[in-house]
Amino acid sequence: MIETTPSDRYFDYCLQPYEPAAPAQGKWRSESLLWHALEVAGLRGGRVETSLRRVQAHAGRDLTVWGVKHDRGRLFLELYFYDPRKEDPRVAASSVIAALEGTLRFAPSVRESIPYFMWSFDLDAETERSGRVDALHLYLAAREIQAGRSYTLRGGGAIELVNHYRFLHPQREIDELLHGIESSVFVDFERVPLSRVLLPQLFACNRICVAKKRAADGIYYSGLSIDQLRFFLERFGWPGAIRSLVERERARLDHLRYDVGIDYRMLEDGSLESTKTSFYGTL
Amino acid sequence: MQTDRGAFHPTRFGDLAVTVDFHCQSACRFCIVREGMNHYRGVPLERFREIAIDNERSGRYERVIFTGGEVTLEARLFDFLAEARGRFAHVELQTNGRRLADRDFARRLREAGADELFVSLHGPSAKAQDFISQREGSFDEAVRGLENARALGYDVTSNTVMSADNVHCLSEMPELLSRLGVRRMELWGYLPMERTEQAVRLIAPLGELVPSLLRGLERAEALSLPATVKYVPRCLLERFGGALDNSQADVVIVESFWDTFPAFNCLYEARCEHSERCLGLSHAYVDKYGWGQDRLRPAARTTPWREPARGAAAPGASARRASAQGPWAALVGAVPEGTPGTLERGWLTRNQARFRYVFDGGASVELVLEARDEARPALLRTRSFNVFYTDLDARGRDAEIKALLEAAARSVERRDDGSFELDARKGLAREHVRRRLPTAR
Repeated sequence: MIETTPSDRYFDYCLQPYEPAAPAQGKWRSESLLWHALEVAGLRGGRVETSLRRVQAHAGRDLTVWGVKHDRGRLFLELYFYDPRKEDPRVAASSVIAALEGTLRFAPSVRESIPYFMWSFDLDAETERSGRVDALHLYLAAREIQAGRSYTLRGGGAIELVNHYRFLHPQREIDELLHGIESSVFVDFERVPLSRVLLPQLFACNRICVAKKRAADGIYYSGLSIDQLRFFLERFGWPGAIRSLVERERARLDHLRYDVGIDYRMLEDGSLESTKTSFYGTL
Repeated sequence: MQTDRGAFHPTRFGDLAVTVDFHCQSACRFCIVREGMNHYRGVPLERFREIAIDNERSGRYERVIFTGGEVTLEARLFDFLAEARGRFAHVELQTNGRRLADRDFARRLREAGADELFVSLHGPSAKAQDFISQREGSFDEAVRGLENARALGYDVTSNTVMSADNVHCLSEMPELLSRLGVRRMELWGYLPMERTEQAVRLIAPLGELVPSLLRGLERAEALSLPATVKYVPRCLLERFGGALDNSQADVVIVESFWDTFPAFNCLYEARCEHSERCLGLSHAYVDKYGWGQDRLRPAARTTPWREPARGAAAPGASARRASAQGPWAALVGAVPEGTPGTLERGWLTRNQARFRYVFDGGASVELVLEARDEARPALLRTRSFNVFYTDLDARGRDAEIKALLEAAARSVERRDDGSFELDARKGLAREHVRRRLPTAR
């Protein structure tokens, strides 16, 4: 596990800075959770780990956002690179792709004139095996409101719109938030209580992001405490090895703020299915 | 206050609740002690003695409240009362009243210094009360206990927990309580500490609870019986909104207790005039019945809503929005001439004195004083305090903020004669009062 240093910086999954929730000395950097998840996913010691270390060295400590995803038993990762003003050439997609040459092969290429403010790609067991990255994602921002849409790029120039999302303040923008959640083709809120999606245990947070995706809706909570992360991992059935680490090492992780995401849709019987859940930190 | 888990009740810092033990001869179906607290031990007598002696010197608490479990079953209760005597202005017992049916026992308690009772009574009849307490005869004993209490001159407040088991008969309570000489009644919404099927069953829907509660409040008003309501949204109390008071006494219990204490939120926190006093709905209620977004009726705000600072602090360590008066306010001195910042407000908590400075353009920072502790980082250590700052929103005014903070810190250093006291303890009790959790938990 990686201990904090006095020079550590603390960013949420939008790379917005935050003050640690408790003194950080002698505790763990959030990347510790990433390395542990990598272990649980069986991805330590190979190409994926090498890629992460090269990314950290290339982009700088604390400046790459990672997401650990859990999709019905399958664990995988996503790395996010932010540069809203295109000020840091190191984190441009083409730069990171070049830095990973020899470890990963990216099928898609990115036209850097596209006004993306963030891009990302996934790392999973298939990446570990083949070294191939078949898709990457570009995120374009809206004007004036904190919102955006994302596109998936594949080899051969194929591009598709995959996500449309908006960040809202849970209390100040409650009407927009409720509208955003209830305006859904995947969930009938006549049958599903709002509280199954807008969870009271996570409502005390900094921002809630409402996402509309191709096959599900998504809701993201940012700025959570360690205890809210524990609730999330338990509620959404994360692997025991990850839950138990967070339980056991709560005191080493209580200075961090956490961001989590839940993709969901309603099944025919009116129950709510969580298709994919994720939590985030920085590398 | 707002924490990372949602809102908690505010703390009454003049009252101190001391958990003596957790045994009880009743088995109330809703009992939060039975559900979530029976792995805690009571506060040892020796620990309470320290607290009582400290209070004799500081006068921090006006009232000590012995609670449990059922305190009248505690073998050393009279020892606790002896320690409390003369060291608190009032000594209150939280009890189900059953042992007070013994007039001699009730008298001995009175003679030992107990002058106030907080008596739990959850039904207006033997049928209702005994069903809830799961003990036949408990109603009759409590009634005799209340009759004795009146005869012995106790000041009695009643407590009724409103659950699915008594929601139909709340309006009958005031008549009985008034007849028994109860001075004031409290009505608490039921809060499950655990999410067992039985616990969740007891949460009454607001659609049933509120009409019954309002009838009860009307009846109490007619009988001139003052009533206090807890854990019900204020917007549903109609003209009885002023009866809402969610405060609880400061409590001697391990800090980890608050990890399991129910939390609250309301969708309309930012919009409602009453959100600083009203907690909204418990998370357990929201899980069972939803957010109530169509039922709640937020009152339009007349003042801007200010987002509460979130923190992991327990309620006992929470910010009580009392202003920092007198010598506390003087500690930081005037804002230096030529510095554009202004002291927006100061407030005192058990653990901290905080001073919030604001600047044109929205920049802000809070200067914080905590009990001096060499082991913790600080901007400056004065005779009484660690001084540091938090919640900095500089907006490019770093130099001005730095100058103001330095001036304020120097002012504290000059004016602190070592006599200021803040509680350095996170919790008043240490981990030794916690039993090991059962392995099944």
